[in-house]
Amino acid sequence: MPESTAALIAVLAASAVPLAAQAQQPGGEAAGEVGYWAFSAPAPSAAPPVADSWVRGPVDAFIRHRLQERALRPSPQASRERLARRVSLDLTGLPPTREQMLAFLADPSPDSYRRFVDSLLASPHYGERWAQKWLDVVRYADTNGFELDGYREHAWRYRDYVVRSFNQDKPFDRFVCEQVAGDELFPGDEEALIATGFHAAGPRHMVGGNQDKEEARQEVLTEMVLGVGQALLGLTVQCARCHDHKFDPITQKDYYRLAAFFAGSDLEDAVLATAAEQERSETLRAAHEQRLAPIKQRLDELEAPFREQARERKRQQLGPEHAAALATPEDRRSEKQERLAKEANSQIKPAWYEVLPLIPPEVKETRTALRDQMHALDLVKPAPPRTALAVKNTAAAEPTHVLLGGDHRRKGDSVAAGFLSSIGSLGFTVPDGAAGRRAALAKWLTDAAHPLVARVMVNRVWEFRMGRGLVRDPNNFGLLGGLPTHPGLLDALAARFVEEGWSIKSIDRLIVLSSAYRQAADIDPEKAAADPGNELYWRASRRRLSAESIRDSALAASGRLNRALAGRPVRIPIEPEVYDLIFTEAEPDNLWPVTPDRREHDRRSLYLLNKRTVRLPFLANFDQPDTMTSCSVRSTSTHALQSLSLLNSDFMQVQARSLAERLRRECGGGDPVCQIGSLFRITLARDPTPAEQRLAKGFLASSPSADRLQDLSLAILNRNEFVYRP
Amino acid sequence: MNSSTDPEGGASQFAVSRRKLLCTAANGFGWLALQHLLAGDAGAAADEVNPLRAKPPHFPASADAVIFIFNVGAPSSMDTFDPKPVLNQRAGEPMPASFGEVGGQFTDGSNPILGTPWRFRRHGESGMPVSELFPNVARHVDDICFVRSFVTRSVVHAPAMYEVHSGRLFATHPSVGSWVTYGLGSVSENLPAYVVMPQPEGTPEGGTSCWSQGFLPSVYQGTLLRPGPSPILHLKRPDGMTRSRQRDMLDVLQAMNAMDAGEFDSEMQARIAAYELAFRMQSHAPEAVDLTGESVRTKRAYGLEAERTREFGTRLLLARRLVERGVRFVQIYSGGGPISMQWDAHKHLKQNHEKMAGHSDRPVAALLADLKQRGLLDRTLVVWGAEFGRLPTSESGNGRDHNPHGFTMWFAGGGVRGGQSIGATDEFGLHAVERRCSMRDFHATILHALGLDQRGLWYLHNGRHEKLTDFGGRVIDSVFS
Repeated sequence: MPESTAALIAVLAASAVPLAAQAQQPGGEAAGEVGYWAFSAPAPSAAPPVADSWVRGPVDAFIRHRLQERALRPSPQASRERLARRVSLDLTGLPPTREQMLAFLADPSPDSYRRFVDSLLASPHYGERWAQKWLDVVRYADTNGFELDGYREHAWRYRDYVVRSFNQDKPFDRFVCEQVAGDELFPGDEEALIATGFHAAGPRHMVGGNQDKEEARQEVLTEMVLGVGQALLGLTVQCARCHDHKFDPITQKDYYRLAAFFAGSDLEDAVLATAAEQERSETLRAAHEQRLAPIKQRLDELEAPFREQARERKRQQLGPEHAAALATPEDRRSEKQERLAKEANSQIKPAWYEVLPLIPPEVKETRTALRDQMHALDLVKPAPPRTALAVKNTAAAEPTHVLLGGDHRRKGDSVAAGFLSSIGSLGFTVPDGAAGRRAALAKWLTDAAHPLVARVMVNRVWEFRMGRGLVRDPNNFGLLGGLPTHPGLLDALAARFVEEGWSIKSIDRLIVLSSAYRQAADIDPEKAAADPGNELYWRASRRRLSAESIRDSALAASGRLNRALAGRPVRIPIEPEVYDLIFTEAEPDNLWPVTPDRREHDRRSLYLLNKRTVRLPFLANFDQPDTMTSCSVRSTSTHALQSLSLLNSDFMQVQARSLAERLRRECGGGDPVCQIGSLFRITLARDPTPAEQRLAKGFLASSPSADRLQDLSLAILNRNEFVYRP
Repeated sequence: MNSSTDPEGGASQFAVSRRKLLCTAANGFGWLALQHLLAGDAGAAADEVNPLRAKPPHFPASADAVIFIFNVGAPSSMDTFDPKPVLNQRAGEPMPASFGEVGGQFTDGSNPILGTPWRFRRHGESGMPVSELFPNVARHVDDICFVRSFVTRSVVHAPAMYEVHSGRLFATHPSVGSWVTYGLGSVSENLPAYVVMPQPEGTPEGGTSCWSQGFLPSVYQGTLLRPGPSPILHLKRPDGMTRSRQRDMLDVLQAMNAMDAGEFDSEMQARIAAYELAFRMQSHAPEAVDLTGESVRTKRAYGLEAERTREFGTRLLLARRLVERGVRFVQIYSGGGPISMQWDAHKHLKQNHEKMAGHSDRPVAALLADLKQRGLLDRTLVVWGAEFGRLPTSESGNGRDHNPHGFTMWFAGGGVRGGQSIGATDEFGLHAVERRCSMRDFHATILHALGLDQRGLWYLHNGRHEKLTDFGGRVIDSVFS
């Protein structure tokens, strides 16, 4: 690992200990007032006066000021084409269409870029792009995780809620209130109930056998605290589950006080459907069952003799004691024989793989046909009544204890729900009963005086658009997260965010309209020597697109992208190698019922079924997070498996072929100049340079094969520039 | 048509003009960088261009590579490597009351003691006991160090598997193979550094999370490898894409990539290098899994001629070939998918273990012998283990429930002192009572063999210095001395 990072961490760690120690008073309470910046309210100051036409607003003033201190000049503005592609990818996750580009380039007004940005902010794809980010942070998936990794039939409603919220520019304080306590604060509001799916987003262990109920409950609580701690507070609160936080002023008692907000809450499937809808749904379901029943019955009848045969075989193999017990009539079995008979029944129960080999080929054929019918019907199964994966309050709140070492068997002092002591209550109180606790938490989180929530969110927006957080790790405003590079800017943005009604779109607009954002991404060696990490933002960052954006961009380029919004998750076809990774002990057929409508397979990646234990290799290779923990910033790694996916996967073949067809269609007679021009404009939103023109023409001319155009298309879709934000 | 019908040296239609094109197209540094990269020499920027470059260990290592044989579903220790004669003497009786309630996943300890259906014999100069289930492995006990006192913290498969693979009960952390790859990089220029070979019938209960890179960048992921013509996903060129056609396409791609890669842009250069590795991998990976060059004797030794050993034998032979070619970490599973293909003997212990050991005994023994004969065993750590062991009491009358309270795993090669056992369970094999070893100790020991200091191998994630062993384990140093 890098030595410099190690050294930095060592310094931070060394300086942290006294701070944390100082913050804690005897009795496990953290001090209300600490000198640590993130726990004090933002102190917005006016932007530093900088006389420079480069400065368009407060963002630029802060950035320019720091650059001046280091005698650095910002980079020139990126070309209009690159800027348009960049801001479109940033705000919508998709490249601009050629129509969008034409309109933008043809717009002579000095306002053209602002107008272009406004059109992107108004696009429904804006919410999709933000949702992907938010779902990373809350570790959303469509399944539970662990061995059974059960499907969460209703989870997607929360995903769509997030898309809608960002598209509506829902005030962030309202967005937080709905997610933390929508059921309590907005009773009867369906949207707010769906929002509480926030608490259910993380993984959940569901398994049979002797399970420790209390342990399972603690796991649910841990995930709930983790969600609030990381997504909203930007703190590593979870570090204090087993011991006082090592670096930040968060005691173990603080952790359990926070957990106590959820002591009266549990996860539930909340039915949203009206009585009439439920009735209709029930009718449809019954009709479906009626169609299914005869198939199931025939299967059962067909298998019965072989099941019996397998059972009989196994009966023959029983030990004498077990056989005797089983042979004894039930009412005459001794106590021991009752146990033995139970064991014997377990021993002779045939499994599917013991029955299947006994079935003769012709019967097996019938069986396969019947199972195919059953699975086909499965695909048209009527949707269940509208339901949200949500939280509800229980009748009474369970008592909360400090758990020594985080172990539920080692209970310490009991604690009441309470706010982080180093921030204080901000004047809020928590009710004693089960109800209203989360509402108090939500109010506290979204109070204008809260030192963290607004800062944490504007820092996420900044990181999303600028490539690096002002606080480096958006999930860690604690000591190890480091000091902000531009504290004044962070506080100014946070203050403005709250003042302007917690509007994400207005912060987004502020950032992407700045000169700092509009800079070119080229590396200047002199400046790079002075600031290798670009912490002062002397250039734009060139970043690899997210896994989803790469896939979506390829679909956009090929012309296949299905731009539909919302809906149930889509199962796209998967490679047999991936199918084999689905764990089951049952007969392994129909484990991945592919969505029948093929147009659905070209939906944006946000809508693809996200199964925690079986990742789609194309997306996983490009660092799609594993959804087991909160991901605040995606890692970007570069390796050969990515190249193999982009070169050889079926998905890429289809996109390259469709793109080549598109070019042939558009350039009637197969004129290579036209084809190359279109190819560059479709994929890179710009015209080819003369050198590129020569290169591509030479490639197309080097063989008369029609495959050349497809190969050139595939090459462009693999190109650095295509998979990178310019 | 695929690469096998396309002669490797097939002349490319584009080749003649390639150099000229590249020169015109990619002027300045991009062109120079490209030349270096195509020549496999990334020069000064190598560190950033190739995150998988081989890195020196923290201190002198006794092993360079690991083959971790994970036995899915959990073999019984008291029926394999940890004899408990009292079980047969007291079969059918209840456990002594002093043991209290014995927690399995499905039983509570009220069931009677189940004797072992197999006899144990002492083997080798060391006289280590092994049951009849592993007659071939038994011949290698003088190279094996048994640790009989491991414990995991869950009676359920998936969490316990996560603990063995990553040190945590939740699938949130990188697997040991990913940590090792992160710490040491790869010495292979043509193959992935961390390779995973699951049972063809299915994955372990813990699923792909078992070999996940967790929050580490995806470059440290375990790469699935299967025997046969398409060993790695997306490795095979699409139908109609010949090697030379693909090379032409890559040339035009790399020329454009070079235009995008400035002198100081190591990330862009890394992408250029990755394409060349991918191209090489397309010929090297099939070669690595192609067993036609192996002698009949070797194939027989691994049991490739017999139905019951062929599948697992093939994978273990592949493991040796991969290690030979510089692969750093091979994670291989005995068992997975349907319960009939796991060691999870809740009932029919005898049939189950005879079947599973029947698949693996001969291949595992052959692997040890083969590595030794080729001089690879000295530098290859072979680990054999599972997520837990099984209870001394019965389930369903002839099976055993899970036992995370004390079970055996073993080490061989890579500096291990064979012919010894460390730690002990009680006389019934229920609890580890002597030198109890946690999964942190297990991981610390593997890292130690590879010359990695468990405290020096960390990654900053969500504000925490994450380490494989978290707060640290104790290296089981007597394994090596």
